[in-house]
Amino acid sequence: MSDLQSDNFLRPRNGPLAAARLNNTVTRITVIVITALTLMYILMPVYWMLKSSFQSANDIRAMPPQWLPKELSLQAYRDLGELIPIGRYIYNSIFVSLVAAVLSTAIGSSAAYVLSRFKFPGMSIILVMILMTQIIPPITRAFPIYFTIQSANLLNTYLGLIVAYVGFSLPFSVLLLRGYFQNNCPPDLEEAAMVDGCSHFGAFLRVILPVSMPGLAAVTIFTFLNAWNDFLWASLLLNQGAMKTIQVGIGDFAGEGGGVQYINIFMAACVVATIPALIMFLFVQRWLVSGLTSGSVK
Amino acid sequence: MSVFGRLPRRPARTVASALLITSTLGLAAAPVNADEITFWSQPYGDLLEWKRGMNALADAYEEQSGTKVNYEVLNWSVAFNTWLTVAQGGAAPDCADMYWLHSFSAIGGDQYGPLPINEYKDQWPDLDKNFYSGSLQDSHYRGDFYGIPWRGDVRPLMYRTDLAQEAGLSGAPQTWDDLVTYAKAMTARDDNGNVTRWGMSPGSEIVTQAYIPYYWQAGGVFMTEDGKTATIDNDASIAALSFIRDLVWEHEVVSPEFMEKSYDPESEFLAGTLAMVGSTPGAWPGRLQRENPDLDGKWALAVPAAGSAGRDAYAGSGYFGVLRGTEKVEQCVGWIKFLSSPENMQKLSEASGNVSPRRDVMASDFWSDTDWKKVVGETLEHQHTSQHPSPAWSALINDEPGSVVYDMMYEAIIQKQDVKEVVQRAQARMQAELDRVSK
Amino acid sequence: MERKKLIFCYLMVAPSLLFTVVLGILPMLASLGISFLEYDLLRVRDFGTPFVGVDNYITVLTDARFIQSVWNTLLITGLVVAIVIALGLLLAQVMDAEYRGRALIRVLICAPWFVPPVVAAAIWSWMLSTSRSPLNAALMDAGIIDSNIRFLSDTETIWGISIPLLSVTAVRIWNGLPFVVIFILAGLQSIPKSLYEAGSIDGASVWNQFRFITLPLLKPILGVLLLLLLITGIGHFEINYIMTGGGPQGQTNVMAVYAYQQAFNSFRFDYAAAASGVIFVITGIICFFYIRAQLKDGDDA
Repeated sequence: MSDLQSDNFLRPRNGPLAAARLNNTVTRITVIVITALTLMYILMPVYWMLKSSFQSANDIRAMPPQWLPKELSLQAYRDLGELIPIGRYIYNSIFVSLVAAVLSTAIGSSAAYVLSRFKFPGMSIILVMILMTQIIPPITRAFPIYFTIQSANLLNTYLGLIVAYVGFSLPFSVLLLRGYFQNNCPPDLEEAAMVDGCSHFGAFLRVILPVSMPGLAAVTIFTFLNAWNDFLWASLLLNQGAMKTIQVGIGDFAGEGGGVQYINIFMAACVVATIPALIMFLFVQRWLVSGLTSGSVK
Repeated sequence: MSVFGRLPRRPARTVASALLITSTLGLAAAPVNADEITFWSQPYGDLLEWKRGMNALADAYEEQSGTKVNYEVLNWSVAFNTWLTVAQGGAAPDCADMYWLHSFSAIGGDQYGPLPINEYKDQWPDLDKNFYSGSLQDSHYRGDFYGIPWRGDVRPLMYRTDLAQEAGLSGAPQTWDDLVTYAKAMTARDDNGNVTRWGMSPGSEIVTQAYIPYYWQAGGVFMTEDGKTATIDNDASIAALSFIRDLVWEHEVVSPEFMEKSYDPESEFLAGTLAMVGSTPGAWPGRLQRENPDLDGKWALAVPAAGSAGRDAYAGSGYFGVLRGTEKVEQCVGWIKFLSSPENMQKLSEASGNVSPRRDVMASDFWSDTDWKKVVGETLEHQHTSQHPSPAWSALINDEPGSVVYDMMYEAIIQKQDVKEVVQRAQARMQAELDRVSK
Repeated sequence: MERKKLIFCYLMVAPSLLFTVVLGILPMLASLGISFLEYDLLRVRDFGTPFVGVDNYITVLTDARFIQSVWNTLLITGLVVAIVIALGLLLAQVMDAEYRGRALIRVLICAPWFVPPVVAAAIWSWMLSTSRSPLNAALMDAGIIDSNIRFLSDTETIWGISIPLLSVTAVRIWNGLPFVVIFILAGLQSIPKSLYEAGSIDGASVWNQFRFITLPLLKPILGVLLLLLLITGIGHFEINYIMTGGGPQGQTNVMAVYAYQQAFNSFRFDYAAAASGVIFVITGIICFFYIRAQLKDGDDA
């Protein structure tokens, strides 16, 4: 738990010096002001998207722009189903992103664990290699990767895209989880387990993973949303037919003048596209802040 | 309880076998029926109507010939990257609706990309009689025949008639001088002198294409007919660039931001913050009519205003062609032939809102039932193909910084550098680009 | 036993390694290889891909547009990383604190993550357009400005910093914030609460608790975050490309956009690869320092 915890943060109880108390008040106000301003900045485009999805295309375009909609309508949502097979696209995206997130977290945490715990020949090289993959900007890797996936016969399959997403998010997962394990799990944790007769892998599975839920949750969310939000790779590797992801579906729609002529439907599609990501986040975020973890590690 | 408790005991092995299964699954792709072809097209006009129309055509063809056409929409947002991968050996359909034949042929060479179908050309005996010659140019490259042009994108002038009338102007602007008069009259400013409505934008958001017709109207051509020599160091370049520069800075009727990526003339026109577009993409008027009844009766099209040498209008086109690597050339040609019949070309033109390269379609009722359509027909008489005989052309007129035409425009118009010097530099750069493909 | 442990280690890293090599290392080598060839898409079929040594690098490094993009990249990345980490540290604490409605605050702070990038770009372009911007309209109404701010096209610069550069930076911060917040939040979970209790008894102010307890304990996570943000920041492409395409006058052009334009607009894959090679060297230097610091830390421990 942190210094912003309310009883601690709002009312320092333990009789601190007056100066510290004044300082805390100043700090608190500063924090609240900055947070409020940042929230406005974060939410402005989100609000605009939400608001526009309930307006008519003409009201959206009206000059001067309407911050508060004059009329609300659900028409855009009704038209949406007819224009885009949005349910199917969302299903595709959920499938691809979820499998990629679970795979990447599982594979990444295994590697991160041994890389954070043991010294073995080749370890530095492996670390450097994982790091290196991030060094060339994705845009110039596009064609080599396209042709790799093509030669594996995975173009326009879910698996091709899943493999690509796992590949792209792995370096992040490994490096961040490695930092996390170093930070969060003192070696005596699994030493105790191993005294109890656990194998290395057993200790990893039964001791390390459970206490690392915040880190694993962060990595899972990260991988899921990266896959969910990706347009570039999905548009290259899976851009045909019914298996398209939601981002490509929306991008297609926007590209075909839908972004101008059906701007309200475009916005409605985007609102609908955020909902599964939101649910996923709500589901996983419980593990992000778990008192259990901080309690068990002293 | 950890969620990972339910995972298999040996993730490493599981993943390895999963990968293995994956690759075998991938290899066992479904066998393709000999009487099936895949066909891609970009979408046009109303999305739903377009899809329905294409599927109906595919069904009709299957009934007639027994060949099943698997139709896929290749959306514009991914079209360019897809064609670029196709030209390098990426996954390709059997035949498709394509564009930029010259560049993609050069990139694909004799391995990938568009396939010449000279031996089938006699299937269309009256090609020259039935089609506008400008559009035929776009499906020929280095003397080879690649397919049938089916859509045109001819660009007339578009302006707000209600605003012109308010300013006491009647009829359409006829000359460059008229453009200045109209644009000045329709530009509006607030009390602080800020512009609330710009009088004019030279063209669409693709600013390099916007420039091209002005250069033609001033009497210029970009290169010799063999595509080997650049010809832009001349008075026509100076006249066209100076004209637009003056619209921006002297008359203050064109936004000085018009070349920036964030400037979107179509949205501005719809929002009423722009009164006139000098060269309007073919898809806009149809969209306006369909989606913006609020603007009915407030806008009109006109043949582009005349410069010293004419009223040339930008025209682009797309064609149906066959891709290298297919084993079904004959089936593809059959399908293309089916699509290019007068009735089907009529259907395609009506569904897409694109002008047709077929003269009989343009003479039909559909293309004369409203004033703006009649103007589109008239503008066709002034159409000038935007394709040029060099494969480097698409790189030359790319609409982002770094391309020869964009940089020339930016330096001369926005940065107000000495026009003569700018043009000389551009000529040298353009020559180097043309040499690039041949030396 | 030792051998068993080794096998265990290799088995655990093998899947990651496989993915890394196939989807990371090999494409990277392919790209580096191309940077030493003439690889002009319009010439490849007729003239092949002859070896040209470092010619591509010379061309790129003597191109004023590229040099400008290098400075812009470093400037924008520096700004983004510094602000994102500062804001991330603050917001992660806000998300971590216990108060009513914090689940909602968490979702709101992470909201940019749920907005599809396609629409995020569209909405920001709209927010920041000159004549149609709702922001300009609101500021104008409030009497704060009397002429529209040209968020994406004002070419005036002060010390190489222009309004468009700041606008693009702001959108990139917006885009990158949730990732940073989430990882700092995860890191905060590892700090034992007892440390704060002790600090609070000693009368340490909130600020001092942050400085002397939170920050040092977050160091490992912050180190990795900083590294990843720098690397991905320097190679960043999408937002700069969609918002401005590098304009006006190259003021928001970054190296990855330059590389993209060379490859996809001019069909010069060789110049694009050379530009990527320069990115490789710059990020390589950053990684070198990181790894050295890591190894030093490891020795200390």
